[in-house]
Amino acid sequence: MSALYAQVLLNGLMLGALYACIAVGFSLVWGVLNVISMMHGSFVILAGYLTCAAFTGAGIHPFAALVPVALLLLLLGYFLQLGLINRVVSQPVLTTLTLTFGLDMILYNLMNVWFEATPRRVTLDLGRLEFGEVVLPLDRAAAMVLALAMTGLLYVILRGSRLGRAIVAVRMDRDAAALMGIRVPRVYAATFGLGAMMAGACGALLALVYPITTNVTGQLLGKAFIVCVIGGLGTVPGALAGGLVLGLVESFGGHWFGPQVAPLLGFALMLVLLAVKPTGLFGQRGYE
Amino acid sequence: MAEPLLKVRGLQAGYGEVRVLWGVDLDVAAAGITCIVGANGAGKTTLLRTISGLVSPTAGSITLAGRDLAGAPCDRILGAGIAHVPEGRRLFRGMTVRDNLLLGAYLRSASRAELERDLDRIYTLFPILGTRRRQDATTMSGGEQQMCAIGRGLMARPQLLMIDELSLGLAPRAVDDLGVALQAIVRDGLSILLVEQDVLTAFDLADHAYVVETGRIAAAGDPDTLAADPRIRDAYLGTA
Repeated sequence: MSALYAQVLLNGLMLGALYACIAVGFSLVWGVLNVISMMHGSFVILAGYLTCAAFTGAGIHPFAALVPVALLLLLLGYFLQLGLINRVVSQPVLTTLTLTFGLDMILYNLMNVWFEATPRRVTLDLGRLEFGEVVLPLDRAAAMVLALAMTGLLYVILRGSRLGRAIVAVRMDRDAAALMGIRVPRVYAATFGLGAMMAGACGALLALVYPITTNVTGQLLGKAFIVCVIGGLGTVPGALAGGLVLGLVESFGGHWFGPQVAPLLGFALMLVLLAVKPTGLFGQRGYE
Repeated sequence: MAEPLLKVRGLQAGYGEVRVLWGVDLDVAAAGITCIVGANGAGKTTLLRTISGLVSPTAGSITLAGRDLAGAPCDRILGAGIAHVPEGRRLFRGMTVRDNLLLGAYLRSASRAELERDLDRIYTLFPILGTRRRQDATTMSGGEQQMCAIGRGLMARPQLLMIDELSLGLAPRAVDDLGVALQAIVRDGLSILLVEQDVLTAFDLADHAYVVETGRIAAAGDPDTLAADPRIRDAYLGTA
């Protein structure tokens, strides 16, 4: 019995690490730019497709594809923000939401045309570790470790770099940041780029463990949304905690109430939190 | 007056359809304190925001030591030597005093040792900031926050420091301390452009004063002369 719970716990943590990695970029963009990027799920899937294509077309190992795919998404995000979203970034949130929604429809349909919606994935048989009755498939374990590593990397960028200081300053007070000589439109572009980069890294990892198809872009966006509500906006530790909580809730919920109920539980938790503690479980004042 | 450091001519600016500045002419001398006084809504803050690039001018010129800066983005204006200490201090919450000061030097490509020397200079000017360097800057008293905001401006090594509402909401004692510090800054060769609602404080500190009314310069001159002008006395100093 305890082995069974250990397995459910492990599954929840593996899922949660991926959720955290998906949500951390979405949360960054929302927290700093006040833009709810409807494209985030499609960014993840685009990266997944690119990873699959690199693997089946050129035999490139997904771990090797992760960095170039993430950088490609970084560039895509950077120039989308600089060229398009910056034009309306100070408008009410509904305006930017509508813009990213439209861009998402374009990207979604382009992906359907280019890649077709047929699910595909990269199957690497890396073997498995067994601890008694608890099984740890190594491809999933690797995806979890890399997802946590990418999340940690973003944290280091935000805390340790000149760009990170600029991003934090812009989030706190845009005008005061401009008076420090920080070029706000560039920082916005870099922030959106970093968000897309995290989606890109996640998509490359997701291709290892789940089928990649445009059908799930909305689901992924929904997960990112829930994680932000659970963890609070704009902080890496918040997204990490929120992701792990959601992964565990879905894993244990699926075990107790059946897998068809699991996705509902995340939304239920979100509704309760919105009513009781809208800053999220770990949100701080000023970061909401 | 020798060739001024900052020269503003015919400056017009506003927000959307609302025009606030209607052709402002202003000179700031090198190594001195110039003050701008005027009622709420006269356009003092907009004038500073336009000089520092937060608001784009619709007409007019802004030149610093002969360099045209009108319409340039904030980072170029700061790089040219104009730092702006905004109204309400606008320190970064959740960051220490030291980190706030260091953000003031964001544009400079100075070595770590050079930045440390500059920080020490700020801590000498405002010893309390040295004591509180690891404290969240926004948890300090108003006067200490104003010191931090001025220090943050100085960390950019500007030629001209613009301060919006130096004394607003501060205890008289804190304003006195800040005034002493400003005089020390000017002795180091900097120029200060001070916006103040408290006319007595401003005239006390400044070498030259401007009175702004509804987006125009209504009067200018030596503070003592202005203070003696009955029209200014009635409008800004009370009749006492």
